[in-house]
Amino acid sequence: MEKLLQRTCKEVDSAELFKAKNKTIPVNFEVNRLKSIDISESEGKALRVINKGRIGFSSSTGNEDFDLMVEKAVATSEFGSTASFDFPGEMKRENKEKKNIDIYDERVADKSIEEMVQIGEGMIERVKDFNQKLRCDVTILKDDSEIEYLNSRGGNFSYHKTTMAYSLMAQQIKDQDMLMIYSSLESGKDNLDAEELTSEIIEHLKWGEKIVPVESGKMPVIFTPKAALVLILSIISGLNGKMVLKKISPLTSQKNKKLWSDLLTFYSDGTIDFALGSAPFDDEGVEMKKVPLVEKGEIKNFYYDLQTAGMAGVESTGNGLRAGIQSEPVPGISNLIIEEGKVSFKEMIKDISEGIIIDQVLGLGQGNIISGAFSNNVQLGYKIEKGKIVGRVKDVMIAGNAIEELKNIAALGNKAKWVEGKYKFPHIYLKSLSVSAKK
Amino acid sequence: MREIFEKALKNKRNSADYIEIRAEKKETTTIHFQGEKLEKINCSQQAGGNVRALVKGGWGFVSFNQFDDLEEKVREAIEVASLIGKEESKLAVSSPVVEIINRELDKDFRQISLREKKDLMENYNNIIMKSNPLIQSSNVVYTDRFSTIYFANSEGSYIEQEKPFLSARFTAIAREGDNVQIANESFGSTKGFGAMEKISPKAQRAASRAVNLLRAQPVEGGEYTVILDQTLGGVFIHEAFGHLSEADFLYEDERMSGLMKLGKKFGSPKLNVVDDGSIPDLLGSAKYDDEGVRTKKNYLIKDGILTGRLHSRETAVKMGEEPTGNARALNYRFKPIVRMTNTYVGNGDTPFKDLLSGIKKGIYARDCYGGMTTFEMFTFSAGEGFMIRDGKIAEPVKDVVLSGNLFTTLLNIEGVGNDLKIIESGGGCGKAGQNPLPVSFGSPHLRIKKVVVGGR
Repeated sequence: MEKLLQRTCKEVDSAELFKAKNKTIPVNFEVNRLKSIDISESEGKALRVINKGRIGFSSSTGNEDFDLMVEKAVATSEFGSTASFDFPGEMKRENKEKKNIDIYDERVADKSIEEMVQIGEGMIERVKDFNQKLRCDVTILKDDSEIEYLNSRGGNFSYHKTTMAYSLMAQQIKDQDMLMIYSSLESGKDNLDAEELTSEIIEHLKWGEKIVPVESGKMPVIFTPKAALVLILSIISGLNGKMVLKKISPLTSQKNKKLWSDLLTFYSDGTIDFALGSAPFDDEGVEMKKVPLVEKGEIKNFYYDLQTAGMAGVESTGNGLRAGIQSEPVPGISNLIIEEGKVSFKEMIKDISEGIIIDQVLGLGQGNIISGAFSNNVQLGYKIEKGKIVGRVKDVMIAGNAIEELKNIAALGNKAKWVEGKYKFPHIYLKSLSVSAKK
Repeated sequence: MREIFEKALKNKRNSADYIEIRAEKKETTTIHFQGEKLEKINCSQQAGGNVRALVKGGWGFVSFNQFDDLEEKVREAIEVASLIGKEESKLAVSSPVVEIINRELDKDFRQISLREKKDLMENYNNIIMKSNPLIQSSNVVYTDRFSTIYFANSEGSYIEQEKPFLSARFTAIAREGDNVQIANESFGSTKGFGAMEKISPKAQRAASRAVNLLRAQPVEGGEYTVILDQTLGGVFIHEAFGHLSEADFLYEDERMSGLMKLGKKFGSPKLNVVDDGSIPDLLGSAKYDDEGVRTKKNYLIKDGILTGRLHSRETAVKMGEEPTGNARALNYRFKPIVRMTNTYVGNGDTPFKDLLSGIKKGIYARDCYGGMTTFEMFTFSAGEGFMIRDGKIAEPVKDVVLSGNLFTTLLNIEGVGNDLKIIESGGGCGKAGQNPLPVSFGSPHLRIKKVVVGGR
C-alpha cells in the first residue's frame, strides 16, 4: 500500500488510501426452515487526493489497474471542492480513559456455520412451541472486516472488527389480517442471547392477539426503543454539521439554546466496546470519541468530518464516516446513546387511561425528514386502556413534528435497549400525539 | 469470460443439481452539487462476481471481488448448499441460451468528458438556486453507469448483456424561518447522454414546488376520496400490489397464497395491471433476467381479476406455473430474487375532469417522496398535495401520507383515467437489502375512495 501511495504522490500534493476487506456469512431461514447460506467476500480501495488545493476521489474493487485510479482521482480533482483540511499526521489515541476499544472477538470469527444453523433452529423451535401456526424467518449472521488506512503525511491505522447478528420475524395470518413482528440483536461480541429475542417476540404476540379499535384524536403515546427512531431521525439529520453549515437544518442557529424537554440528553460515542459503530478512528483517521450532542434539552454540539469542520472553522468531532468504498467521508453517527430516564415501561402503561404503544412503523425516513415532520403507518402498535394493554391496533397513522413533540416528553424509560447494534434508546413517552384511524 | 466460466463449471456438474456463475464489470461516474457548491465528483470501477449452487433443494451462494480462483468459489458454494439440501431440487425448465447483447448508444456517455457532464449539472443546479430567493439549498445528483453482466449456468447457457444507466435527481430546499420544505424531481434512462440534456423543466419544477410548499398547510388527518396522479398511481401499484405478486412471498406460505389466489376479484372490471420487462430500453427492461430466462409481458390483474404473478425458476415450478423472467439481482453481491420490471396500471376511459366531479372534500395527491409496504399494509408520501373541494382543485396541503390495506384499497378504486404515463425515475425499488434496483412504473390518474391520510 505504501508504494502505491508514493506513486500517487508524484502527481498530487497529498493523498490518502482507504482499504476495506470483509467477509459476511448470513444463514437464512425462511418459513421455518433453513433456506440459504451465503458467503460474501468483498475487497475495495478508495483513493482521496488533494491536488492544487482541490479534492479528488476514486474507488475500485478487484484487481484493476491502480494507475487508472490515480488518473481518475486527479481528473475529478480538477472540479473538486477546495480542501479545507489536510490529512492528519501520526495517529495515536490520546484519550486516556479509553485507550483501547474492543471491537474484535475471535469467537465470532471462529463461529462455525453448523453452530449458526443450530442457533436459528433453536429460535424457530422456541417460537413454534408458543404457536405452531406461525411463520418464522430468521437470519443468523457473522461478519469479519479489516480496515487499513494510510496517508502521505505519515498517518496510518488498521483494525479488525467482528459483528454477530440474530434477527427474527414472526408472522401470523388470519383471514385478511397479517400480524408481523420482528426484532433483532447485534453485537461485536459473541454474547447474544437468543432467548431474549424469542421472549420479546412471544410477549408481543400475546399483546397482539386481539384487534381493538382506536378513535382518531390526540392521545398519549409510548414509543418502544425499536420505534424511537421515528422521533430521533430528523434530529440526527438536523445536527449533522453539513446540514448546519449549509443552513438547511432548522437547528442551525439553535446551539446552546434549550429546545427540548429537560429529560432529553444524548451523545454520539464511537468508543463503546463491541457496539457496531465503534472503532479507534473514524474513516479518515480522526480519533473516535464521545460527543455530547444534546444535554437536558439543549444542543451542545453538531457533528463533523474533516472537510465540513474545516469549512465551519471548527474541529472534526471524529464523525467522518464512509457509506461504502465508493463514498467519500461525510458527517455520520457512530453510535447514538440517549440517556435513560427514571420511569419503567410498566409504570408508563399504568399512567395512561387511553393511548397507544408504537413498536413498528411503516415509512420511517419517508417524507420531509429535515423539517422534523413525520407521518407513519403504525405497522405494529398496541392500545392501552385504563393502564392496561388491551390489544393491537390496525389502520392507524401517527403524525407530528419531532422537533415539536420532543418538547413534551412525559417520561423516558429506565431501561435503554440497543437497536441495530448502534443506537441505545429508552422508551419515550409523549404526553400527546395526533393519531388518525380508519372509521 | 466464457472460457473462465466453463473451466470453473467443468467437472462440477455432478456434484450439484444446478450451478450458475455471474460476473459484472462496471464503471460509474457521480457528480453531486449541493447548494452553490460542487460537493462531490467521483469515478469508480467495480468488478465482482458470484456463484450460486443448488444441491437437493438447498442454495449456496458465494460472492467475491477476486476472480483468481473461481473453481474454489464454485466448490465453496456447493459445500454450503450441501449443508442445507434435504429434498429434491426443482427448477422450472428454461432452454439454454447463448447470446451476446451489446448496446449502441446515440450519444454514449462514456465518450462525454467529465467537464461537459459537470457543466450540464451546474446549469441545472443554477436553475434551482436562482429561481427564487427563498431557495436555501439544492441537491443535484448525477449518476451514469455502464455495466456488462456475464452469465453462465451448468445447463449450457452463456449470456452477456450490456446495461447502460443514467440518472439525475433534483432536490430543491426552500426555507422561511424554521419552515423548511423539500421537493424532489428525478429522471432515469437507459439511453444516451442526449436524454439528460432536455430536463431543465424538472429542475424548474423542483424549485417551484418547494417554494409552494412553504405556503401549504399541513393536511388534516382523516378518511378521504383521493385522486392519485400518474406517478403516485404508479408508485401505489408497484408498492402496494406489485410486491404481493412476487411469488417468493407466496410459494411456501399457504395462507399468503390463499390471499393471492388466481381468479379472485381484486378490483372493478376497469382495473388492469401489467408487468413487462420486454419493453425495449425502459429502466426495468432486459432481454434476459438474471437466471437467463427471457422476459415477457405478464398480466397481473386483467379486468379486475387476479390472473398472474411474478416468478423465478424456483417459485414457478413450486407453484406449477411458468417462469416470467422476473429473477433479478441488484448486482454481483446478491442472488437473483423475484422482482418487478416495468409495472403499470392499464388505461381506463375516464377523463381527468370527470374523475374530479362529485368529490365534495377530497385530496389530489401528486408525485412521491417514497413508499413502503409490509404485505397488505402500505404507506406512501405524496410530493405535492391539493384539497379537492366541490369537484375542483383547491388550496395546496403538505405532509400528505396515504396508508391502507391493499385489498380493500384496490376494491375502492372507483375511477381509472385515460392518461397512462410510464415514469422513468432515477430512484429504484428496494427489497431484501437490494436497493435501488432500476424499475419503471406508471398509471393513469386513479380515483380511490376511503383512503386514510395521516395528519396533525
